Amino acid sequence: MYELLGEAVANIVQLKYLVPLFLGTLAGVIGGALPGVTITMTIIVVLPFTFGLDPLQGLAAMTGVYVGGSAGGLVTAVLLGIPGTPSAIATTFDGHPMAKKGEPGRALWLGIWASFFGGLLGAIFLIGATGPLASIALEFGPWEFFSLFVLALSMVAGLVEASLLKGLIAGALGLIVTVLGADPVMGQERLTLGIPFIKGGIDFLPVLIGVFAFAQVMGEIERPGSEVAKSLGYAKSLAVSHAKVVWEILSRPFQLLWVAFIGLLIGVLPAIGGSAASMMAYDQAKKFSRRPERFGSGIPEGIIASEASNNANVGGSLVTIMAFGIPGDAVTAVMLGALTIHGIQSGPLFISQHPKIAYGIFAAYLLAHPLMVLILAVGARWMLRIVSVPKAALFPIVLVLCVVGAYALNNTMGNVYVLLAFGVLGYLMVKFGFPLAPFILGVILGDQIEINLVRSIMTDANLWLFVTRPISGLLLAASVVSLVAAMWQHRRTQKKIDAAVEADF
Amino acid sequence: MKLSRDGWAGLAVLAASLVLFALTLGLKPSPLVPIGPGFYPRLVLGLAAVLAAALVILDFLKTKKPEPLPRVNYAAVVLHFAVFAAYVVALPWVGFRIATVVYIAAANALLEPPKNARGWLRVALLALIAGAVVYFAFEHYLTVLLPRGRWTDF
Repeated sequence: MYELLGEAVANIVQLKYLVPLFLGTLAGVIGGALPGVTITMTIIVVLPFTFGLDPLQGLAAMTGVYVGGSAGGLVTAVLLGIPGTPSAIATTFDGHPMAKKGEPGRALWLGIWASFFGGLLGAIFLIGATGPLASIALEFGPWEFFSLFVLALSMVAGLVEASLLKGLIAGALGLIVTVLGADPVMGQERLTLGIPFIKGGIDFLPVLIGVFAFAQVMGEIERPGSEVAKSLGYAKSLAVSHAKVVWEILSRPFQLLWVAFIGLLIGVLPAIGGSAASMMAYDQAKKFSRRPERFGSGIPEGIIASEASNNANVGGSLVTIMAFGIPGDAVTAVMLGALTIHGIQSGPLFISQHPKIAYGIFAAYLLAHPLMVLILAVGARWMLRIVSVPKAALFPIVLVLCVVGAYALNNTMGNVYVLLAFGVLGYLMVKFGFPLAPFILGVILGDQIEINLVRSIMTDANLWLFVTRPISGLLLAASVVSLVAAMWQHRRTQKKIDAAVEADF
Repeated sequence: MKLSRDGWAGLAVLAASLVLFALTLGLKPSPLVPIGPGFYPRLVLGLAAVLAAALVILDFLKTKKPEPLPRVNYAAVVLHFAVFAAYVVALPWVGFRIATVVYIAAANALLEPPKNARGWLRVALLALIAGAVVYFAFEHYLTVLLPRGRWTDF
């Protein structure tokens, strides 16, 4: 394993791979710093640029976007008090007060170095756990895969903040998208609704791009006015003693390990995302702290918790996609799409069939962290100028790049029409309070769920096997438990809200 | 009792699921796959219909008034979807280069209406430069062949 990793690192430092990795990290840092532009949108914009590259170059660029984006959000969060990405929301709680108190450099660099160390802990987990987890998944038959995908969908539907019922309906809608066009087992045409370009089925990438890009862009357009043009009203120097800042982080080893673990865990669970990781880690850091009352006033623990966890989260998300082929979030879903474009199937066989690419991703993930530190060291101040780019200029260009990305998948307008249709659907779903994460996971997993269901029934028509095979049964039981837990959690939250409303009244 | 947005959304999903479910009944069975191409779609559509019906019923039974939605500018959203749809429709007819420049200019001007000649010049320059950069980056460096116009051959 270490030999392969060493070779991969030697490979990735070649200019051929280092340039896309650097540019991806730069794009991620800028995209992450731009309020209103998420990492998902940045990776969607970068995707078409990777079509002409070899698979590892493209994936290196995307890994860079993911790592850079997770850290980039902290620049505006600390200096302006506006989180560049949702995963940096918790960073504003202590980062901005510390900057306002006259220590913007310390606040910023605590965040950057915490991201660095959190990311490296994520890398250790990613490199160490992917292979063993993939070996476990290799023992799976179609029953186990079916149950695993059902578990992923039920967890996502249950973990979203909207109602459980709406989460389940969103997941079912995603599955419906995959039954339109062609049956994935025999390729027989079905439910084409007379639309010629869906005869072969609907590609998930234009659906994903349409749903996320439009939901976000239109969400911004519907509420005009931006706070981005704020200027720094306090100390302008970001100079700081790096040794001191690094010591501030490393002198809290328990906290660093614990928040990185939370980030990893949330990353492994599908579609919860960095924002939940950083909020939970912040909450945990506060609970374990000897001075919880000082959280929110600009203390280092708050910044470290948020930033170390959201970068460790990236490692966790990459594990699920590389070991099981299940995207941990929208960003890894796009990465999955990029693999598919190059004819590579992610899943348990990925690491053994494509070791060069798998270890290349590990190496890119490792190297993206020092690159991220370098980019932020040179460009943190410039970043504040970039984030004042007017959205009126940015959004049309983003949507044009979405069109190029959809069109370039197979050079047909059909995918652009799918992009538009799902852009409208995505916006409507958000307006009607349906979560997008289960919908997208349904679109991604739908074909695999059907293939494994049909395979298992063709092997043995006994449906009880889904329950009686130990791993499959355990996974299905976990799905039921996750749904029951989600119902209980939603009910408890609702009771609390009702009680608060009554108290207010 | 009036339905809220949850109820209407549930009704829409229920109707779509039932229509598609009815369409699956016409699918021919496959000799190689005994359960046929309609088995899984019927399972998924049936599940969606049941869940959507539950959403409608729960909404119908809800006693609490839904919270008022925040005021937003839907007219701007509809207008931008319309401009984007026009761009998508125009692409195969006038080609990527012309359609993209016109779209960027139109969308930019709608989002931040220019107040004077200088503003219009900025809109035009942004559209031309962005259109050209995207075109050259993809066609010349990344070998993505972008759509040519049937009318313009450009």
